[in-house]
Amino acid sequence: MTAVLELRGLQTSFVTPAATIHALRDLSLTVQRGEILGLVGESGSGKSLTGFSINRLISPPGRVTEGEVRLHGQNILALSEPEMRGLRGRKIAMISQDPMMTLNPVLRIGTQIRDALLAHEKLDKAEVRRRAIAALDEVGIPAPEDRLSAYPHQLSGGMRQRVAIAIALLHQPDLIIADEPTTALDVTIQGQILALVQRLCRDRGTALIWISHDLAVVAGLADRVAVMYAGRIVEEGPVDDILDAPAHPYTQGLIASVPVPGQRGGRLQQIPGRMPLLTDLPPGCAFAPRCPRATEACATMPALTPVNSTRAVRCVHPLIKGAEA
Amino acid sequence: MSETVLSVRNLGRRFGSEGDFVTRGLRRVGLAPPPAVVRAVEDVSFDLKKGEVLGVVGESGCGKSTLGRMVAGLLDPTSGTIDRPDPGGKALPMQMIFQDPFSSLNPRKRVKTLIGEAPRVHRLTSPAEAESYVAELMERCGIDPSYADRFPHAFSGGQRQRVGIARALAVQPEILVCDEAVSALDVSIQAQIVNLFMDLRDEFDLTYLFISHDLGIVEHISDRVLVMYLGRVVEMGSVDRIFDAPAHPYTRALIEGVPRLDRRRTVYAPIKGDIPSPLNPPSGCAFHPRCPLATDLCRAERPDLRDMGDGRQAACHHAEELTKEGEPQWPATQTG
Repeated sequence: MTAVLELRGLQTSFVTPAATIHALRDLSLTVQRGEILGLVGESGSGKSLTGFSINRLISPPGRVTEGEVRLHGQNILALSEPEMRGLRGRKIAMISQDPMMTLNPVLRIGTQIRDALLAHEKLDKAEVRRRAIAALDEVGIPAPEDRLSAYPHQLSGGMRQRVAIAIALLHQPDLIIADEPTTALDVTIQGQILALVQRLCRDRGTALIWISHDLAVVAGLADRVAVMYAGRIVEEGPVDDILDAPAHPYTQGLIASVPVPGQRGGRLQQIPGRMPLLTDLPPGCAFAPRCPRATEACATMPALTPVNSTRAVRCVHPLIKGAEA
Repeated sequence: MSETVLSVRNLGRRFGSEGDFVTRGLRRVGLAPPPAVVRAVEDVSFDLKKGEVLGVVGESGCGKSTLGRMVAGLLDPTSGTIDRPDPGGKALPMQMIFQDPFSSLNPRKRVKTLIGEAPRVHRLTSPAEAESYVAELMERCGIDPSYADRFPHAFSGGQRQRVGIARALAVQPEILVCDEAVSALDVSIQAQIVNLFMDLRDEFDLTYLFISHDLGIVEHISDRVLVMYLGRVVEMGSVDRIFDAPAHPYTRALIEGVPRLDRRRTVYAPIKGDIPSPLNPPSGCAFHPRCPLATDLCRAERPDLRDMGDGRQAACHHAEELTKEGEPQWPATQTG
């Protein structure tokens, strides 16, 4: 069986007269049917850009300059724009961080759901209404019939995010890319959304890429984790392996930065410095200037090297044996 | 027992307008509805001891920021009192650190002015010493003093937050009110700033009111925790008691709902519903529509904040049942 999504050596660059910035480099990922992949990184690591690159939503001066995005084995970078439009929303859906930005503030919820439905299907009025109500009902919105005539500002943040999820699920997509959908929400609402997404993806076998800066959320949700740093994947593998025994010093630093429940007071482990700017990357490993294990050998970029059959790391001095690049 | 540096009694803040002349006139003859009033904070009392970190947690709209702004003196309370420390000289006793390091620094002022202006105006430094005073503060907060002539836009989010902290420290405060001070920062930077707060506390004997929605950080940094829901304190006590044996179902729901690194492939069973509108709060206990333990008593009568005997206060009719061994049924988070 082919994977739902396969990225091969993806490179996204922003070309300006002043400079060419490679915002994503050598990005390879595989997501299977029903699998939840957590894509973790800090601001500027390129995790959101990965989502946009997959959906071909990079606008000039940025563009995907190398590599392949394979959906069920078909390279969608080679498709024409009309063909791509046929995929977006139907095969690949996106959920963004701020539903206030994805929902049109001057259109009623029902209208927005109708537009999304009619974009890919021919339906009569009654059927549109039935499907819209069913979609809202499925994501746990109370009194869905009444909500169809509501405007986005009349709903709370959690409800708006539910509407966004309902729209994303309308066409039963094979892949959902969720870009920090719970970051703006309160803890209790975040729990509700996580529970919802988990249930829907498990029931339908939808593949999900969950982009987040929050390792803890990813720990509770994902099957596999990919950690990004300065436009590259530095470590990738099953969630338990990565979180229990990180191989990359950056992953280890990230995990140690999160306060451990029950361990009160004391100092948190911190990673010194900050992520370099993409215009000013060091030669070789981008994490080397902040890394306690860095040596002269880190001045050449290590490849993403398999540690075993399920995980890989991009490091000259990995923290687990047998993974030396 | 160390000295109390701040005591807050029955603090309340209402927002709402009486309306214009016409509305007021119409209301007097019964033709307009009564004014809509939001009780953002109601009847909050606590003491802060010197060197203590009091964490304030709650969801958006629970009034934690309003509380912080009143404590910092940026907003006048509509009821209750705040006894602040006596400035004792020129220093300003309270300072606030804000969430957004991008909008809390004036983009047109150089860092040395941002940090140095207040102490100069309050005569904490002489003009001759101002430069070294600022340099020392920058050094202490982890910013290279050679950047003193730069504008805020030249700094990253974490560095800006350090500038904000240096600016607050410049007037030698006793109490820092941190309103979501690390929420906008990346994880690795967050740890740096939290460590800085802890170091500064030891060094200057600072007292913190640390407001955050992030329970992980609050658990890590606080000595005591105050949990708010819809403007009221629902539970307050030592961090150990609150996190190990929460006595209020809301506190418990918050703690259960926090994603943790050691909870893998978790099946979340969150509490239902949204936080109710503060314009129209529910009867009785404000939490009862979402509470799995709610009874008729909860719907009818608002529980008072009462002592639980272990230095903790909780506002729940069923607090004892919740802390008892062999606890009642709770839709706990499972790992599957």
